[in-house]
Amino acid sequence: MPLTTIVHLDADAFFVAVELARRPELRGKKVAVGGGRRGIISSASYEARAAGVYTPMPSQRAIKICPDLILLPHEGDYAGVSRQMFDLCEDVTPWVQRNSIDEGYLDLGPCGLRSPEEIERVVRRLQTRIWDELKIPISMGVATNRLVAQIASKLRKPRGFVVVAAGEEEAFMAPLDIKEMSGVGPKTQTRLRAQGIQTMGDVVAMNDSALSALMGSGWREFRERCAGRDDRPVTPEREAAKSYSHQQTFREDIADRDRIESVVKGMIDDLMAKVRADGKRMRTLTILARYGDFSQESAGRSLPEATDLETAFYPLIQPLLAKAWRHARPLRLVSVRLSGVDDSPAQLGIFAQQDEKRRRLAGIMDQLNAKGRGSGLVRGHQLHTMPPPNTLAGPS
Amino acid sequence: MKLKINRDHFSNGLAQVLNVVGSKATMPILSNVLIEAERDHVTLTTTNLDLGIRCKIKAEVKEGGAVTLPVKRLATIIRELPNVDVDFSATPNHQVKLTSGGSNFRIMGIGKDEFPPLPEFGDDRAFTLEQSELTAMLKSVAYAQSSDETRYILNGVYFNFKDGKLSLVATDGRRLALTSKELEVPEDAAGSIILPAKTVNELQRMLDKGEKLKVSFNERRAAFEIATDKDSSGLIDSIYLYSKVVEGNYPNYQQVIPKETHQRIKLERELLQQCIHRAALVCSEKSNSVKLKLSSNLLEITAQSPDFGEAHESMAISYSGPDLQVAFNPQFMLDPLKALSKDEVFFEVKDEVSPGVFKTLESFTCVIMPVRLS
Repeated sequence: MPLTTIVHLDADAFFVAVELARRPELRGKKVAVGGGRRGIISSASYEARAAGVYTPMPSQRAIKICPDLILLPHEGDYAGVSRQMFDLCEDVTPWVQRNSIDEGYLDLGPCGLRSPEEIERVVRRLQTRIWDELKIPISMGVATNRLVAQIASKLRKPRGFVVVAAGEEEAFMAPLDIKEMSGVGPKTQTRLRAQGIQTMGDVVAMNDSALSALMGSGWREFRERCAGRDDRPVTPEREAAKSYSHQQTFREDIADRDRIESVVKGMIDDLMAKVRADGKRMRTLTILARYGDFSQESAGRSLPEATDLETAFYPLIQPLLAKAWRHARPLRLVSVRLSGVDDSPAQLGIFAQQDEKRRRLAGIMDQLNAKGRGSGLVRGHQLHTMPPPNTLAGPS
Repeated sequence: MKLKINRDHFSNGLAQVLNVVGSKATMPILSNVLIEAERDHVTLTTTNLDLGIRCKIKAEVKEGGAVTLPVKRLATIIRELPNVDVDFSATPNHQVKLTSGGSNFRIMGIGKDEFPPLPEFGDDRAFTLEQSELTAMLKSVAYAQSSDETRYILNGVYFNFKDGKLSLVATDGRRLALTSKELEVPEDAAGSIILPAKTVNELQRMLDKGEKLKVSFNERRAAFEIATDKDSSGLIDSIYLYSKVVEGNYPNYQQVIPKETHQRIKLERELLQQCIHRAALVCSEKSNSVKLKLSSNLLEITAQSPDFGEAHESMAISYSGPDLQVAFNPQFMLDPLKALSKDEVFFEVKDEVSPGVFKTLESFTCVIMPVRLS
């Protein structure tokens, strides 16, 4: 009998949890994280969810539905907390697969644990430790394969802990509604329900020809999954950012080209500081423009060589923006994406010896900005985003 | 058209023009060599419109005339013929008959009328140089040309005739090689061209067949007349090489050559070359650099790649400056070392982000940008 070594770990309302770890006084309240007046809710506390707030939902609607909602802006170090969370997982096993910022798989196979009880103890300890050290609540599913572990983790959120014993997979799956199966969207659901299929068990019980008529070529695999069988391995991969991106939704749609260019520049400045901190260089800039009606277009271009200086991207801004923003309509949002990572040692250019000075300047800015967050050191083109300077201090 | 020709001479002549063919799709005749017979020689010409080569070889011409034949296949056939004596005749409908010993070939040609003539031009600006000298100069800079097509200005060697000297420069944006020699340059003859990489290649192949060569050029094109007086396999007069030049402004190379010398070390060229070559054996595509560490009378060269291992080489040198380290792409160091012939070279360094400079007592400079130490 195989051991239940596969764990699916899923943080509960991750973004909210990160914010609450910073302000525990808000715990137990209806809290959501999301963009302001025109943004979208990206995470809501379970208290807020009970009041009808879900993700993604326009923030405005959320406030209407739940007037006492405490809406927090995105401020926490989500990537950093996520990294710490997975670092704790890697203390348990090297086989950690990060699926997203708040969710992933562990395989305890190589840990030499001999019984399901032993495994359960280790996984519970990890759940407790993540809460104790990071104040992030986690739901966990433990099973013999990824599919069942993943479904198990979702079953009793928040802070769920569901173990499906080896050999019990099919029985565990049978009563579950077909909508729990990933990849079964509303259309497939309607089609299945029209045939009286409500649960995974119903799918398993169907005869081959009826199921193949309903599901097409993938029907065999679909039935295997509904029976709780899955042989995809947990594949740890090195965590390495492949791109850096940033977006800004405006309070009101804006048509002022200078202002948008300056916003784009500011975002590139912010991103490049991160790129430098990660010791990387980037080659490609993509700008996306979204109109008030959510239609959007993007344009991208690559530099001849990857760079760690924001100034190298500035000359691309105008042409890319012109390409992405073709209609004479105001924009609701612009986003900037830097991709084409290069982390090999940098070969310096013979005609770019000025860059070394720029690099030194950038390094100093990065250092100052890192000391106190928002030390307020920005490039000249971002000056207008700063609060007006204090009036000169007179004698007091 | 009827003639008798020596197989090895013919083969040698074809070898000169062989590399220059145009794209078959647009103009099929550009894959052919134009063969013109008159008096005591045949003239062979190929062109791809950007670059053209013409040479002459001895032959016993019984009946003059002209025809064009596919150059690559013709060259292969001629080389393989069994007998040194080759009889060559063409019919008015451009069929060529080749006879050598017991071998007979009949090859379909194309008439000469469609063959684009090589432009000749007046001596706009013309200089005469020693072939051996130009060979050495090209060798010492050509490796630094860029092959990145997006930087087409750098896809060639810059010839600058100015201020009483000829300077040759090549750079790929990461390293730059410069060499110059004294040359009488009348003020009104001063000028410069960027000779495309392909032409540089061909030119290097052609040189050293004689004493002198004449170069003439204007803003759009250049021509080389390369004497063949030292050749003993049938070439006569001179080889004519015509080329378009890269149009545009070459970057200001003077500006990137460090003006001051910080730390200068004298090195045994071959020893340094061997050390770098060995150290670089552990480099990989991802970690392609060797680190030079200077301390009192010691040069250490190290390289490593995380998945393979590391190398450490040391060389005794005469050095009393401050300790410093700097990393370079090993190829950028090896290229000039290989191209030079002097036993000693000078290497100048300053710090880990400033260029390293190779120099010799002749006027040779190679500036190499470092790889940033992380």
